[in-house]
Amino acid sequence: MKLQYTLPDSLEAALRRVVGEEEVLYSLPYDVEGDAFIEDGFLIVTRTKILRGRGDEIVDCKELKSLSDFTAEKLYGSAGLYAKENGKTILICRFVSGKHLARYSVVARACEDLAKNASAPAAENDEPEQYCPTCGRRYLRGTHFCPHCRKKSEIYKKLWNMTRGMRLMLLFPIVTTLVGLVLRFVLPAIQRIAINDFIYPEEGVERGTMTGFLVVIAAIVSLDIFQRAMGVLQGRISAISGNRFTLQLRERLFEKLHSLSMSAISKKTTGDMMGRINEDVSTVQNFITNLLPGYVSQVFSFVFALAILIWMDPLMCLFVFVPLPIAVFAILKFWKYMRQRWRRRWTLRRRTNEHLHDSLNGIRVIKNYGNEEHAIGQFSQKVDHQASQDERTDKIFDTFFPIIGFVLRLGNYLILFYGNFLLFGGGMSVGALNQFNSYAGILYEPLMQINHIPRNITEFMTSLSKIIEVLEEEPEIKDKEEPRDIKIGGDISVRDVTFGYDSYNPVLEHISVEVKKGEMLGIVGHSGSGKTTLINLIMRLYETGQGQILIDGVDIRDISQNALRSQIGVVLQETLLFSGSVRDNIRYSKPDATNAEIIRAAKMANAHDFIMALPQGYNTIVGEKGYSLSGGERQRVAIARALIHNPAILILDEATASLDTETEKLIQDALNNLTENRTTIAIAHRLSTMRGADKLLVLDHGKVAEFGTHKELLDQRGIYYKLVMAQTEAAIAKG
Amino acid sequence: MTPEINDTVNDLFHHRKSVPLTPANATFFRSEGGLVSLTLRNDDGTEETFERVAVIRAFPITNPDDFLSVREPGKGSGRGDEIGLIETISIFDAETIALLNEELNRRYFIPEITKIYSMKEKYGYHYTEAQTSAGRVQFVMNNPSNNIRTLEDGRVLITDTDGNCFCLPDPSKLDKQSYRIIEIYL
Repeated sequence: MKLQYTLPDSLEAALRRVVGEEEVLYSLPYDVEGDAFIEDGFLIVTRTKILRGRGDEIVDCKELKSLSDFTAEKLYGSAGLYAKENGKTILICRFVSGKHLARYSVVARACEDLAKNASAPAAENDEPEQYCPTCGRRYLRGTHFCPHCRKKSEIYKKLWNMTRGMRLMLLFPIVTTLVGLVLRFVLPAIQRIAINDFIYPEEGVERGTMTGFLVVIAAIVSLDIFQRAMGVLQGRISAISGNRFTLQLRERLFEKLHSLSMSAISKKTTGDMMGRINEDVSTVQNFITNLLPGYVSQVFSFVFALAILIWMDPLMCLFVFVPLPIAVFAILKFWKYMRQRWRRRWTLRRRTNEHLHDSLNGIRVIKNYGNEEHAIGQFSQKVDHQASQDERTDKIFDTFFPIIGFVLRLGNYLILFYGNFLLFGGGMSVGALNQFNSYAGILYEPLMQINHIPRNITEFMTSLSKIIEVLEEEPEIKDKEEPRDIKIGGDISVRDVTFGYDSYNPVLEHISVEVKKGEMLGIVGHSGSGKTTLINLIMRLYETGQGQILIDGVDIRDISQNALRSQIGVVLQETLLFSGSVRDNIRYSKPDATNAEIIRAAKMANAHDFIMALPQGYNTIVGEKGYSLSGGERQRVAIARALIHNPAILILDEATASLDTETEKLIQDALNNLTENRTTIAIAHRLSTMRGADKLLVLDHGKVAEFGTHKELLDQRGIYYKLVMAQTEAAIAKG
Repeated sequence: MTPEINDTVNDLFHHRKSVPLTPANATFFRSEGGLVSLTLRNDDGTEETFERVAVIRAFPITNPDDFLSVREPGKGSGRGDEIGLIETISIFDAETIALLNEELNRRYFIPEITKIYSMKEKYGYHYTEAQTSAGRVQFVMNNPSNNIRTLEDGRVLITDTDGNCFCLPDPSKLDKQSYRIIEIYL
């Protein structure tokens, strides 16, 4: 992330007058002041001072020593850098939050360090940049890719590499369209012979023989057949190449997405990733196999037609050109306007659909509150609005589309007009006129498209860039050169770990915890205190910022990810069962598990009995479309899944939180089976889940509040003590 | 987990109890650093002074002057505890109102759009150029259909990808050209 913006020369000079030769560590723009955006504000930090520059003046200069408690605070519509000057809070400057909040947060932390110690090392800065350093524009959504600055040739080269193995097939459509094009130009020439020599010979010219005429007709027919045959061939080949291209690209994308770390994936939404695999690939494929050949042929046909027209009759060619600017202008205007109307129609439709979706989904709520009339009123208002807009759009389209058609024909009318003069004067044959007119038609044809071409090209480039970006992304979490495949015993040691999903916003700070093999650690804390984050770090779904995590004395970064995760079993609060049978779900983490093992795991998870009550036992299909299991049943399947590979470490992340007491009892018993002889980490709100815990960790806002055995914590009379009391009281009150 | 227990758990981790703030128990004054300080008189007669408080609107869009939450400044996005709620700003004297509004204006920066020069779509972003009460700006939207929100009273709120917020008090009062640009998203 960029923390040193270049200062304008004049400001740099002013700065030097104030601080002399002192090195500038950070310089960030601040772009909001009072009630206006400004463009010339800079916040500058040196080792001993913090300064504000505006235009070519330094307007504010403070000694870092006198400041403390630097925070970058997000406001609404902007954000501010606050600090305390001799204990009094001041607002140093304000800035556009999305652009600079992360930068200011890092700088705030650096200032904090510098204020205490002027020789503090530079701030850790591994936050990815979101704005293109060259042009300052935002990168493509969710990427580090600036389509404005990245060289087009580079992108095309990547595309070229993607087409390996199918280039000939992909080029074929272009070849066939070009052949088709040539045929289109030949056809009017043959027609001219047919007219001039046979149908309407000029005076004094002998009419051709019947055989000759048949030959010409046969030529025309076979040309047509040939053209169509080419079309069929092209379609068939496109179908093969297009599908193969799509398949290959989708596979590569899917594979790549799975090799990325959680931190990279969690920054992308599921919808975005699905979009890239489905829509973006389709867009690229459609462009290459369908649109591109069309554009190539249009460019060629325009140039050919122009050349032939000039060669045939330069003067008459002028008539073709007179209406051209009018036509181009009219078409551009027309499409621009129509696009807006269509966009509006689309927006309104989407809104109506959303409303429909909402009220159908919520129909029970609507009925419960007797709100039917209101809902009906709202809906009809939306539909009315949409209908009137649609009507207007359709009327406009149906009025102007024919007019545009007329404008495009203007050239032909002028040719006919002038051509007839020539005809009467004997300067031109009927056949030649017809030929000329046909070519003029070809010349005008691509015009209807000119508005779509740039649009389609940018769409294609956008999709292509998004795909390339995923393919180029390097997995953040990588195995070492020679990772160790250790057999995990179960000692876990967390040493002074500090971590945040965004580096400027730590979720865990200085966490140190030791768990011995076979022990159970219970983690307690309010939501957002970092419980799940700690577990994610132990599983190495994210890389620890500072500090390290050891398993059996080995840094988890030295263990291969596969070895690590295959020996950890996890049960989450929200259980995801894949569509498939109960058996498939249980053996998910060990596909070669025998049926005996599956039943053993199910029994340990207290799941065997309810599975036997299902219509098809272990073969019953569950998941989205299958048999619907209750929350407790799903949870027990998940526990069996975690157990099947007999993990050395078991993690329970609020595994029992959403269940009723009776089911919890069943699961609790299952868990007691589970936790024997393995290291267990359990997160739970219900302290009953923690009964068996050897040690308890209380987290508060990412810090260790209390850590020790059940008895130690009760003796401390801290948060844990109060929690136990509160839950006991609640239990008694419930009776 | 039952809701009662949830509440208790939350109470254990959050220490302050929020009180209604009125001129009787709350005195706001300008801090030495130019921000807002508060002296709170508790029911038991003790006084607490907060060197700096954050003032946050509960209904920033529909009722900007009602239910102002006065909080201790928190880390980052403001997770500080609530000291109290002001039911409506008008119960305070003019000087306090001016002070609170000054703080609110610092926090809620929502320039008004007066003219739209252009809106162009490229590479999946909508680049917009407009004249606002805070100067001429260029801003970028992901998806105008989601970023442009028409409120029930006819106002239009626009948020961009950089975290800026803009307000269009009455789109029908825009000049024809500007209106045509924005119309399709209303």
